[in-house]
Amino acid sequence: MAPVAYIEQVRRMFPNDPPYQWTVNTKSPWVPMTKSVRDCRIALISSGGIYHRTQAPFDSVKNDLTFREIPKEVDMAELQVSHYSPKAKKVQDLNTIFPLQRLRELEAKEVIAALASPAFTFMGRIFTRTRLQKEMAPHLIDRLRTMNVDAALLVPV
Amino acid sequence: MGLFARAIEEAGIPTITLSSALDITSLVKPPRAVFVNFPLGHQAGRPFDPEGQTRIILDALHLLETATTPGTIVQLQYKWDENDPLDSWEDEEMLHPSVV
Repeated sequence: MAPVAYIEQVRRMFPNDPPYQWTVNTKSPWVPMTKSVRDCRIALISSGGIYHRTQAPFDSVKNDLTFREIPKEVDMAELQVSHYSPKAKKVQDLNTIFPLQRLRELEAKEVIAALASPAFTFMGRIFTRTRLQKEMAPHLIDRLRTMNVDAALLVPV
Repeated sequence: MGLFARAIEEAGIPTITLSSALDITSLVKPPRAVFVNFPLGHQAGRPFDPEGQTRIILDALHLLETATTPGTIVQLQYKWDENDPLDSWEDEEMLHPSVV
């Protein structure tokens, strides 16, 4: 067996549409880590469509360009999921897409200096690469800078 | 998610990305990624498996701290189902995509 060929899978699912233009990069940007993880304030970012019950749900169809900010001390039982995928919507243990409890534990054990608060969530299924890069990313980066984070952990759905 | 990782890194903040799709991650090339060969929605581990979830996060943080090559992808060796060493869920996923 081999890892699931998701690009081929998408192609098969939409045989009558023009092929999706996946981003192809030949290089990666890079900033070196200047401190050890135990001295880092780490931000959690998830594309799992997670929101607090007092917040608005996401548009689960496509191209919801908004974020939800989730305070790190939140009661996980008060979080909900908007997602196109029924399996993602039915997720029982949110830590599989939003490992907040695990990161709180690692903070308590001083494996990391701090889990930055809030954590950030958004919906997957964003097909407008330009708006993701020109609108969403700059907003997120502004927030991360304000919070003085040292590094970010990104969890996809 | 790799596009966000690249943008955040370009802004001067180091990133570590969990990956669900090795083919897509290999094209997008986030700065640092750990590929977790579990079904979509489980890149941070199996449900109600805090120990396994913690191991994945620690592996990710280790790569964050030690990687020196832009675009590094580490494939974690955990099995979705330890009783299924051949990962038969992969074939099932190709036949019946879970995103629909």
